[in-house]
Order: sequence, then C-alpha cells, then structure tokens
Amino acid sequence: MAGGSVPVAQRQLLAEPVKLAVTLVAVAAAVALVLLLSGLRRGMGEQVTLYLDHQAPVLVAQQGARDFLSQTSVLPEALAGDIERVPGVAEATPISQEYAMLRLHERPVLALLIGFDPGKPGGPWRLASGRAPSGSSELVLDRVLASEHGLEIGSTLEYRGAQLRIVGLSRGTSGFMTPLAFAPRTTVNALSRRPGTANFIFVRPDPGGSPDALAARIDRAIPGISALTRREVAANDRRQFVDPFSGPLFAMVAIAFAVAILVIGLAVYSSTAERSREYATLKALGLGRRALFRLIGVQAAGLALGGTVLGILLALTAARAVSELAPKYLIAISAGGVAAIAASALAMALVAALVPARFLARLDPASAFRR
Amino acid sequence: MSVPLARRQLLFRKGRAVAGVAGIAAALLLVLALKAIFAGINDRLTAYIDKSGADVIVAQRGVDTMHMTQSALPEQTATAVAAVPGVAEARPILYAPAMIERGEARGIAYLVGDDSGGAPLPMATGRRARAGEIVLERTLAERLDARAGSGVRVFGRTFRVSGEVDGLASILNSVAFVRRQDLARVLESVGVVSYVLVRARPEIGGAELAARIEASVPGVTASTRAAFASSERRVVGDMTTDIVRAMILVGFVIGVAVAGLVAYSATLSQIRDYAVLRAVGLRVRGALALAVAQVGATVAAGFLLALALVWALAAILPRLTPTLVLAIRTADVALALVVAGAVALAAAAFPVLRVARIDPASVFRR
Repeated sequence: MAGGSVPVAQRQLLAEPVKLAVTLVAVAAAVALVLLLSGLRRGMGEQVTLYLDHQAPVLVAQQGARDFLSQTSVLPEALAGDIERVPGVAEATPISQEYAMLRLHERPVLALLIGFDPGKPGGPWRLASGRAPSGSSELVLDRVLASEHGLEIGSTLEYRGAQLRIVGLSRGTSGFMTPLAFAPRTTVNALSRRPGTANFIFVRPDPGGSPDALAARIDRAIPGISALTRREVAANDRRQFVDPFSGPLFAMVAIAFAVAILVIGLAVYSSTAERSREYATLKALGLGRRALFRLIGVQAAGLALGGTVLGILLALTAARAVSELAPKYLIAISAGGVAAIAASALAMALVAALVPARFLARLDPASAFRR
Repeated sequence: MSVPLARRQLLFRKGRAVAGVAGIAAALLLVLALKAIFAGINDRLTAYIDKSGADVIVAQRGVDTMHMTQSALPEQTATAVAAVPGVAEARPILYAPAMIERGEARGIAYLVGDDSGGAPLPMATGRRARAGEIVLERTLAERLDARAGSGVRVFGRTFRVSGEVDGLASILNSVAFVRRQDLARVLESVGVVSYVLVRARPEIGGAELAARIEASVPGVTASTRAAFASSERRVVGDMTTDIVRAMILVGFVIGVAVAGLVAYSATLSQIRDYAVLRAVGLRVRGALALAVAQVGATVAAGFLLALALVWALAAILPRLTPTLVLAIRTADVALALVVAGAVALAAAAFPVLRVARIDPASVFRR
C-alpha cells in the first residue's frame, strides 16, 4: 500500500450491505417523517386561507372580529351600501359563510359553505365542470369532496332540512379539513334564519389604493364594525388553526430526529464494537486518536447524508402521491425545509458519533495482541 | 440445567440492547401518543354535552353535532318541545364561536347563550352569568388573566366575568356562557335558538323521547345525548383517520428498521456463537428460535417502555399545557401492540435469513 491510502470507513460501511440498507431506510424514514410533518403544517397554513386568498384585499366584519374562520360575525347586509360611499372603495360585496356539517354516506363531513350573490365576487373562482349556482336550492361543491362521495352534477344532498342540487364542481377548493361549497347567499341566510344579514363584506379598493389605508378609513367612517386587511385576517386564521397542532407536531418531529440519531449511532457503534480488534490494531500501529475519530465521523456522516438524501426523495415522492391519491391534504415541502434537514443531518451525525468515539477512546491497543 | 442463551446474547452488548429498545419505544410512541392526543380532543369535544344534563338534544333537521356546526330553530320550538309528553324540561340555547379578548390576549371559545348560565355544570369559582356577564372556562380565564370581576370583549361588547367552569377546553377550543338574550342581540338572532336541551321525565327513556319529539315537532332532529356525542366524536375520528394511518405506517417502518438493525447486528456479532451451537448439535429451528426470541424480547421491552412513556406524558403534559389532554384507550394500546407484533415479525426476518445460512463447519475453519 505504498503511497496509497485504504478507504477504511468506506470499506467498513460497505462490508455489510444489508445492514447498510436497513440503516439508510431507517434514517430515511425518520427524515421523511420530519419533512412530511413540517410540510403538512405548512400545507395546513396555506389551505386554511384558500378562500381568503382569492378575495378582495379588505374585509369588513362585526366589531371585535379578528379572523374569518373561527368566530361568528353578523352584519346588516345594507352596510355594503354605506361602505361603498367611503372614498377609495371600488366595490363592497357581502357574503355569508358557515361551517356546514354535511351528512354523506351516513357520516358527518365538514365543509365551509359560502353564500354569495350570483354574478358578484365571492363565488367559486374556477369551475371544473357545470355552472355557478343561481337558483335558491343550487350548490357548487368542491370537486375532490364530490368524487370522494360519488356525487356529481345533478346529485342532490340534504343539508339542514333543505335539498340542495349540485350544479357545478369547483377546482382548487379543497381547504384544510374543510373543502368549500358555494350557494346563493339568500339560501345560506334562509338556512340560518338570518335574512337581511351578511357575515362579512369584502371590499375592493379603487385601482392603486392601499388596502391598509382603506381599512383604516372604513374603520373610522363606520361605527360598530372591524375593517381589516385580508393579509391580517389570513395571518390570524393561520394562527388559530395551525398553532394548536404545532405542539404535537413538534413532539413528533423531535421523536423522529431522536430515532434518526439513534439509528445512525446504533449502526456505527455496532460496527465499531464488532471491529474493536481491527481498531485496536490500527491504534497499535500508531493511528492517532484524531484519525480514529475521523473514521467514525465519516461513517456517521455517510449514513446521515445517505439517509437524508433518501429521506428527501421519499418525502417528495410521498407528497406527490398524497396530492394524487388524497388531494384534500396539501404537503408543502419547502426548499428551506429541505436545506434545514440537510444541515441537521450533520448535527445528527455528530451526536450519533459520540458513543462509538467514546468506545474507541477507551480501547486498549494491547487488546489487539491478546487473542 | 438450561442456559438462557437468548438473554445472554441480548445483554452481551447492553448499549446496543438499550438503544434498540429505545428506538422501538420511540416508533411505538409515535402511534400511541397521536392516538392519545386525538382521544383527548374527542373527550373534551363532548365534555359540554356530556355534562349538560340533557337526555335529548333537539336541533335543526339534519343536524346532530355541535362542534363547527350551525343549527337555527324558531324560538317557539322550545315551547313545542316542552309540550311533548315525557319532557321534564326544554331549555333553548344559542351557540356561536366567538373571539374573547382582554387587552392583547385573546382566545376562541364556543359561546353558549343559556339562561340557566350553563347549569347543571358545576362552577369551579364564582357564580353563573347574569345579564352582561360571562362565565369562562378556567384555562381561557388563565390565558386572558380574566378573573371574576374583570371585563372581556366579545363581538365588540364588554362582558364582566362572573365565574369559571372547568374541564371543557381542548387544544382546539374553549367554552364560555352568557345569557341567551345577550348573545341573541349581538348576533342579530332574536327569536332564533340553536339547540333545545331536553331533560326527560324518569318514566321515559332518551331514545323513546327523541322519537316522540321528532314525530310531534316539525323541522327538527332529536338525538339522545349518547348518539349526539358519538356523532361529534365521529367527526374528529373521520378527519384524523388518514393522519393516524400515516403515523402507524411511519411508526411501523421505523420500528422494523430499528428492531431489524439491532437484531441483524447482534446476529452478525454472534455469528461464530451460532456456528458453535450448530456444531454442537443445535438444530436450525433452535437457532432460529434463539434469534426470534431476541427480536421478540427487544420489541416487547420497547412496547412496555412506549406504554410507560405515554402514561408519563399523559400525566405531565396537562400540567404544562392544560388544554392538551392525552386519553389512553385500551383499543389504542391494543393497536400499538398489533403494530409491535408486526414489527417483531418483520424485523425477525433479518437475523433469521442470516442464521439459516450458517454452516456449522465454519467454526473449525479459523
């Protein structure tokens, strides 16, 4: 081996391919879990504001309201006229909105029912098939929800004692746990026994107008209401819906990280312990402590990086499969998330290398000659 | 005299055995903890209905849930229900999700407009709400730092806190009580109620009374308390089924990988021992049983550790985050046990395949 070097770490890693494969799969599973869970959390945030994201940039609600989804807001619908007289307002559109616990296949299924005035903004922004509702018992349903329950255009479903006929299927309206449904506002108001009211009024500013300035102006001009920007309301909705899940999700991510570290540590430790005689020989031949630690570090880093790359590919494939097979879930894996997990892989390798490094530090070189 | 070979081999490298048990425990903990969190949410979801004292809940036709649900009935429905034979009491309530604020602190609660102020739910502190007053759930009161006598803002109006109830909040929501007319005014819902809570006379069962109400009062759905609560639980159950399934799959994969890795490394490091045992007469079946016993013992220990950890979490977490309640159900423990069994079976394949290929003569070659 004059002049050459022996790739000891590489040879040790590849000496037992089955063990290497199992280790990589275990690390990949843990990494994929971390990415999928954080992607699910991010996806939840994006889906929560799905409806708002397609509406006008200013929102008027009952005084004290802060968000769109979690609380009740009731306004007289005539208020839209008052708002339109505020300088800078191009259009004010009332909408009614409620959670609708539909009963499909004898099971309760939650949807967000939007009541809008036909021909005005607030209704479905993209139809996959059919048309927008116009009659009092007509409904547009999210395409994914409809297909999950075998509903199609012409199907009828019962909600709060009313028979609603599906006249259209909307696309891109699968909100987090609450797909969207659209009906004329008068229908939604009649079901709620609140005629002449609206839950929110969306306000479109004049071209070039600032939403923040307009919201403040409406707030000052009209008593008994809260005028908010869509951005502000969306942030509050995300906080209300996503934050409660953050604790449990964080715990799961922590467990997954711990498992990844454990698996790498276990794999490197067991191969180190099994080759203690070889390491003792290397020590007896004069290999320094630093070089030995590097040997361990390279193995741990190799496993961590290999498992991480595999895990990222696994997570991306799983996210794609979910979007095909269960489109109601959005797993939004970000480039930042992938970069963070890649950086974490090195941290995992470092922590995992600690135990075998300690083992090597205590290894007696003389043990190489004892048997 | 027999030699406990499996135990000795398993404990030969204690660090590896402990790491294996810890890894399997972590994988099973993913399943157990998630199920316990959802079960805890479910328990709190129906806590108000469970403790409301109602035998039958009357709602708008087609409605048999409360959480994230709308129901609107004419106020006269309560009078019509009260007139049905067998009804001891018919109490109308209004119900709406609301943001409750005090200064910069805020929290979402299901606001119940009930003239009885939430009776017969016991008050933890203070007294039931009168006009212009509100009763908060204890955890929300703590979060808002709103003790009896403080003012909180709801729908742009100020309500004075008159007392607290306990045990109704989950990580998703809280519950608060005001007088029904107060809520009706702010919601522009005068003359409308959401539900009617019905207490049955002692001589009639809930199911019979529910059927009688549906037959007598048009436009309503009447459910027994048990059926109503079961429907509520099914909503969360259905919403979380896919997430739970995914977590079981991930727990299974991680469990198999960890257990398989431990068992396979242990077998490799003891391959010479196995060869010796085979050379002195141990049959292939015996050698395989030895390998399987080690995997089984590791997985069993991992399962027990996961169970102990989830019990510990169930005891500790509610003290740190009062709304995060973990409920451990026998069925969920059984599910984790099934996952553990599947992990053990799959993981045993790694050492079994290696042990089956051992040549007893190999022991004499070196």
